[in-house]
Amino acid sequence: MKRYILKRSGYCLLSLILLSLTIFFFVRVTGDPALLLVEPGASDADIAAIHHQFGLDRPIWVQYGLFVWALLHGDLGQSFYYQTPVMELYLDRLPNSLLLAGVAMGLSLIIGIPSGILASVRVGRFWDNAGKIFSLLGLSLPSFWVGLVLILVFSVYLGWLPSSGAGGPLHLIMPAFALGWYFAASHMRLTRSSMLEVLGSEYVKLARLKGLPESLVIAKHAFKNALIPVLTLAGINLVIMVNVAVVVETVFAWPGIGRLLYEGISFRDFPIVQGVVLLGGAMIVVVNLVVDILYAVIDPRIRLGS
Amino acid sequence: MSAPADVLRLLSRPPRFAALRGLDLRSFPLIPALILVGIALVAIFANQLAPHNPEVGSLAARFKPPFWLKGGSTEYLLGTDQLGRDVLSRLLFGARVSVVVGITAVAVAGVIGTGLGILSGYLGGWVDQVIMRLTDTWLALPALTFAIFLSAIAGPSMWNIVIILGITYWTRYARVIRGEVLSLKEREFVRLAIVAGCSKWTIMRRHILPNVINSAIVLGTLMIGVVIITEATLSFLGVGVPPPQPAWGLMLSDGKQGLMVGYWWLTVFPGLCIMFMVLSANLMGDWLRVKLDPQLRQL
Amino acid sequence: MGPLAVPAAMADAHCHPHRPTRRQLLAATVALSATGLPRLAKAAAPAGQLTYGVHVSLAPTWFDPADTQGIITPFMVLYALHDAMVKAMPGKAQAPCLAEEWNAAKDGLSYDFTIRKGALFHNGDPVTADDVKFSYERYRGTSHDLMKSQLDAIEVLDPSHVRFKLKKPWPDFLSFYSSASGAGWIVPKKYVEKLGDDGFRKNPVGAGPYKFVSFNPGQELVLEAFEGYWRKTPSVKTLVMKVIPDEATRTAALKRGEVDIAYSIRGELAEEVQKTPGLALKPVVLQAPNWLYFPEQWDPKSPWHDVRVRQAANLAIDREGMSKALFLGHCKTTNSIIPYTFDYYWQPPAARYDPAAAKKLMADAGHAGGFDAGLFYCDSSYSNMAEVSLNNLAEIGIQVKLQPIERAGFFGGYGNKKYKRGIIQAASGAFGNAATRLAAFVVKDGAYAYGSYPDIDELYPQQADELDHEKRTGILDKMQQLVHDKAIYAPIWQLGFINAIGPRVGESSFGAIPGFAYTAPFEDLTLKG
Repeated sequence: MKRYILKRSGYCLLSLILLSLTIFFFVRVTGDPALLLVEPGASDADIAAIHHQFGLDRPIWVQYGLFVWALLHGDLGQSFYYQTPVMELYLDRLPNSLLLAGVAMGLSLIIGIPSGILASVRVGRFWDNAGKIFSLLGLSLPSFWVGLVLILVFSVYLGWLPSSGAGGPLHLIMPAFALGWYFAASHMRLTRSSMLEVLGSEYVKLARLKGLPESLVIAKHAFKNALIPVLTLAGINLVIMVNVAVVVETVFAWPGIGRLLYEGISFRDFPIVQGVVLLGGAMIVVVNLVVDILYAVIDPRIRLGS
Repeated sequence: MSAPADVLRLLSRPPRFAALRGLDLRSFPLIPALILVGIALVAIFANQLAPHNPEVGSLAARFKPPFWLKGGSTEYLLGTDQLGRDVLSRLLFGARVSVVVGITAVAVAGVIGTGLGILSGYLGGWVDQVIMRLTDTWLALPALTFAIFLSAIAGPSMWNIVIILGITYWTRYARVIRGEVLSLKEREFVRLAIVAGCSKWTIMRRHILPNVINSAIVLGTLMIGVVIITEATLSFLGVGVPPPQPAWGLMLSDGKQGLMVGYWWLTVFPGLCIMFMVLSANLMGDWLRVKLDPQLRQL
Repeated sequence: MGPLAVPAAMADAHCHPHRPTRRQLLAATVALSATGLPRLAKAAAPAGQLTYGVHVSLAPTWFDPADTQGIITPFMVLYALHDAMVKAMPGKAQAPCLAEEWNAAKDGLSYDFTIRKGALFHNGDPVTADDVKFSYERYRGTSHDLMKSQLDAIEVLDPSHVRFKLKKPWPDFLSFYSSASGAGWIVPKKYVEKLGDDGFRKNPVGAGPYKFVSFNPGQELVLEAFEGYWRKTPSVKTLVMKVIPDEATRTAALKRGEVDIAYSIRGELAEEVQKTPGLALKPVVLQAPNWLYFPEQWDPKSPWHDVRVRQAANLAIDREGMSKALFLGHCKTTNSIIPYTFDYYWQPPAARYDPAAAKKLMADAGHAGGFDAGLFYCDSSYSNMAEVSLNNLAEIGIQVKLQPIERAGFFGGYGNKKYKRGIIQAASGAFGNAATRLAAFVVKDGAYAYGSYPDIDELYPQQADELDHEKRTGILDKMQQLVHDKAIYAPIWQLGFINAIGPRVGESSFGAIPGFAYTAPFEDLTLKG
């Protein structure tokens, strides 16, 4: 077991090193941040001064070396645009992102799990389809458009909810829904397939043979077991949500990490892009690692298999 | 598909519980299929169907509403956009972009992902290690970030979008296919083929590939939706299919500003088109999954 | 367009010193006497709050004038937090602010400034000559190399007098010190030295009408009226600047009254604001001309080599129609690539829209049937303009394919001269004057010049060494005339920047300073009622 964990952790580290290399060089071939901080027509001296200020006048390997060296000391560098440490900006936004993702996840499960159960248990064509289609609709509309329509309906016409920004719980409703709806379908699908699997298992058959009422079989025996993979996926999706909320955060002016990353990209703010991608990557890699290890603990075959 | 595989497949299937399977899923999803066929036909015959040139408009004819509203005319059945172009014609031609992007991007992703997945799963060893580390790295890189960077490098064009989406989404195939291959490798027919002295290449091509193709197709159907939504989102971020080419995603993001003023037809029509196409593709995918490959889960 | 896209054109706050009319002089005298007199009646205490919906992410670098790059956006905050010795103010491009007055020596080798009595920093310290010297020496933003190379020394004569000594006469000194850079904006020496640069950006103290309260990067900035401001006590107590990157969301926030002032609202959304009772549009014209550029004109094999083809393209563009459709007519059409407010601007004949004449020129040039001109490059935030131009060009037979490129990529490609064929649609709001613009965009080896003409190149060094203002004007006029005659560019317009205000705003001060995109002076803002 110990060896397995060590090996898996080693792989994770390797992935992260690869990621740091990829993002570092990749972001540097896509544009020059200095040109975005001045207007076209600025003097060469001004542009050179900016390059010097950001250390972009050094050889690229030196830049990478310095970046890694700072990284080892927990320093992600200073944002070009904000002139503030990236770590500070990131930690500042992280709670907002977690809050948004958490609530969005809750909404997504509230939509996804019941419709998944409905789709797996015969309750009638209408409800089955209605639940499924509602979940799939979230996947079928671009979230920027969903967001805008929500704002128009609930802020502008009805006047119930604030249009944008962070603040009280009311500010959360629309962005969380726009984000959560998109993920509902994946939870619906997994709930359905794992429900089907559990309902077909010997264990449930036994419960039925015992003469338990169907509703009890479903609620107590099947659902409880089917929930485990769904919650695992939810954990992974939560991390993904934190990192993909770019569009929703932009539409709703939600001060989260997604928008930080998008601003970083727009201004070719290398330290922000590097920092956010690396920290996000680390989160994804670590969550996957934990899931793998947990599965390995539960099921020894996996350990041997790999 | 080789005969032993079929037999083994049947033998190894989980107990049948068809009665419990969603009722509608057993029956063919007729409406979604018709919608998809309809969109494909429109894409093919856009030239014949469209009443106007989709890329040329006159500023004098801006924001004409659909024909049934006051101020609308039958010349522009679904109204005109912010530059006076015919919305209907743009929608018809837009189907072409969506179909081409949807199918080819998924195909690009599928070919790369399936290929690497088979190599990784079958060959194992360092090949597996390299491919899997690459996949992990790719997965950790946010798809939109990656797509924006690529489009900044590659420049705007529909084909670049196809390539960008293809190399953004191959990882999903690689992971699923690798998993399938790992279990196929242990099957009798593959072992027999090895004993019979088939080369690795032949085994992968003749015995492995045909057995994972179902999963790839199911996954592909489900990915069409993801790809089309991403294409629209790229337009929102200003790096999608370049104007004035008509594309639903672009129309949606260009027209959204008009929504508040009451020019709803600029976005509602392309929005509905995207919605119907993606929804239909997903329903088809769900149905195919149950029919072809009930093992496939977390998609 | 992308939700975060900054208007490609961010003009500067640099203004041409108009020859004042009699009425303006009169107004200036009145204003002077008003500010010069001791405050007799005690001004009402500041009250209320104004909330802004800002289109770009606010950055702490904007709190420190030393970091000023050559774009206008930071001035959105600088005008509130800080004050300059000399800056653009309503009715005056170079208005005395922290400097009460200044004198240039007869030989043009030194400038003496007298610091305003009673000017205070937010922490209560008076503004002194030491602060002025310190602020200049610490300045590291745009044109700082240029200024360092021209300046010999700065002498503190006494706490309220400071002298700038030049190496040789430099007629542009005051325009650079007042508005083409951030060097003339004053920060408190002692305070900055105590806190350091990072500390200062976190807790800036300035001499402007509003003091810093709090800042949340990417979210909001809160400012509070500084009652000790020398010009007048601001009327609005609190200003909150909220970042709302998406234009539609910003409009929704304005409609709901969540914000009172929304920056940059365009197209259909501006129409919506116009229609909504209680809301009003406040358009301003930026000092950022947009243009089409023909990089192939130096290739004898290209149709663009023929000046008639370039002139035809110029005549084909329906500027007014485009402005009406996209900016509700709030752009100022132009036929020059230099903003009309710049020093040494030469007024070319007005741009015309005449497709018939354009077709004739095309026929004369042997392209009656039109030609395929390849790609049309533009910043993707402005692809809507490009789409109209595309249609216009097609009408006279010039076929192009649009290549909208994301902002960062576009500037890189344009500046690195990658777009050698086709048409480039671009804009610039860089600081400077006609000469600096010509240097970058027209003259040989200019950063954005894909080629040049010897007769223009020849004139450039002549004007650079010319100390006589009139003679220099003559040379620069000639150069601009050549640019026009050769139709090197097809200028389109100076971009309109449309802002919107809600029902609570009394005086918004939009447009009070010509060419300035945002609200300023902040001390003039009022709430209704």
